[in-house]
Amino acid sequence: MRMYFRELKAGIKSLLIWTVVIALLIVVAVVKFSAFESNPESLAILDSMPPQLMEALSMRAFNLTTLEGFFGAMFVFFALMGAMAAALWGSEAIAKEERERTVEFTLVLPIPRRQIVTAKLLAALTNCALFVLFTWVISVVASRSYDPGKSLFDFLRLEMLAMFMIELVFLSLGTLLACASKTPRRVGSMAIGLILGLYFISIFAGMHEKLSWLKFLTPFSWFNASEFFRSGRFEPYALVLTGVTVVICLFAAYFTYDRRDLYI
Amino acid sequence: MDVIQVNELTKYYGKSRGIENLSFSVLEGEIFGFIGPNGAGKSTTIRLLLSLIHPTSGLASIFGKDVTKKGPEIRSQVGYLPSEVFYYDHMHVGELLKYSASFYPGDHKERISYLAEVMELEMNRKIRDLSYGNKKKVGIVQGLLHNPTLLFLDEPTSGLDPLMQRKFFDLIREENKKGVTVFFSSHFLGEVQRLCDRVGIIREGKMVEISDIHTLQKNNYKKIGVLGRHEPASFEMPGVSNLHREGEWTQFFYSGDINQVLQRVSGFEIQDLSIGEPTLEEIFMHYYE
Repeated sequence: MRMYFRELKAGIKSLLIWTVVIALLIVVAVVKFSAFESNPESLAILDSMPPQLMEALSMRAFNLTTLEGFFGAMFVFFALMGAMAAALWGSEAIAKEERERTVEFTLVLPIPRRQIVTAKLLAALTNCALFVLFTWVISVVASRSYDPGKSLFDFLRLEMLAMFMIELVFLSLGTLLACASKTPRRVGSMAIGLILGLYFISIFAGMHEKLSWLKFLTPFSWFNASEFFRSGRFEPYALVLTGVTVVICLFAAYFTYDRRDLYI
Repeated sequence: MDVIQVNELTKYYGKSRGIENLSFSVLEGEIFGFIGPNGAGKSTTIRLLLSLIHPTSGLASIFGKDVTKKGPEIRSQVGYLPSEVFYYDHMHVGELLKYSASFYPGDHKERISYLAEVMELEMNRKIRDLSYGNKKKVGIVQGLLHNPTLLFLDEPTSGLDPLMQRKFFDLIREENKKGVTVFFSSHFLGEVQRLCDRVGIIREGKMVEISDIHTLQKNNYKKIGVLGRHEPASFEMPGVSNLHREGEWTQFFYSGDINQVLQRVSGFEIQDLSIGEPTLEEIFMHYYE
């Protein structure tokens, strides 16, 4: 419990920074929306873009002149930011102690290592939940001036849930990375690399019919905004894959951290 | 009763050696000195005992419990002062000590303020702003605040000024009088000799010798240097070894009654005399002769 609160306190700054960044992103985007709002001509510009690019950015599925469509197109940013923040929170909590060599102090405390991982994981999870919540609140507030209807709130709810799912996946991936890695300095860049890699796979998966099997490999495809925008729900396979990934990663993380040597 | 029991303990880091087939035991209530040069395996041994790293083979137990299985239980009664201390930079000293204390059952407030007073530690400074020596003091208080019954000190005096070193030694003696067992690792023979009952000497991952401090003191070598006009052969006497001479400077090792050397020296008119501790390497040379 004390470790959980220490971790939370240590992570507040990072949460604030991420929140400020996403708030700016949303505010700027919503201001831009005023240019698209009920203005079919602006769509002509988008139509002149290469269709593959539009597909890749999943912008084709959305009618950008509506608020729902606009927030649907924004999901890419929510997903990427959520993934990065979650992966960094998950890995940093463990890797930072090794980098700054405080890990010796922590591991000598009379508690089992799995308890240490749990405390750090819960603190990172709290951050993830708060980050989604803030994103949600900021989105709702920012869209106020356009007089949004129930359909936007319903879609936003789904979108935030999807963002949280993606966070869960990358939180557990990040934690595993930090638990298993022998080079704490590189964990952060490894996590970012992994995210970008998986994101590009999701783009390839959407580009060509032959590559569509790739969508099972990356959380960015499991939670595809244009799909859940259309169907109003998540694919069952996406939820199963999320659950399986999280369980396997966390199990492996606890297992390796319990058995590994302290590296400093 | 043996507080620490180590049996054929071996640790390899990949292919490089940590320690090899180390066996020894530490009795309840004693101060056990653990001496060896850098890289001999002192910290490896301590980290194995604290289950910070896992043995390649062999067994180690503390309070009769296997260190690989009962780590948390064992550590609740163990205090540890690492050779280099690292704490969360942004915390205040008092905050960190309170945080650390919260993991051990009981109330440690009085104990913390007592220890901080002895070690002259300022509680409201940030860890980040502390000098190396002051961080070490935080480490001392943190290692002792939960009244451990076994103490691991890994080169504890580095960074402390002589005055603080003395206070620290007094503190350790005081703890020891209360029955606390101390495992004291150092590469400096002198401080170990002053404090310890028994010493183990480790070299290249192996225990070279475990001996009673009195036995060690009997064949304790002094390094003696004499500057001045004197007969070259005048120091060839029993107990003298490694004698060599450069101009008017003569240097040798001596083990035995120091008065006999001093009597010889007083027979000459000399300009300078130095009597010091041989380096650890020189002591080891003795063990390999």
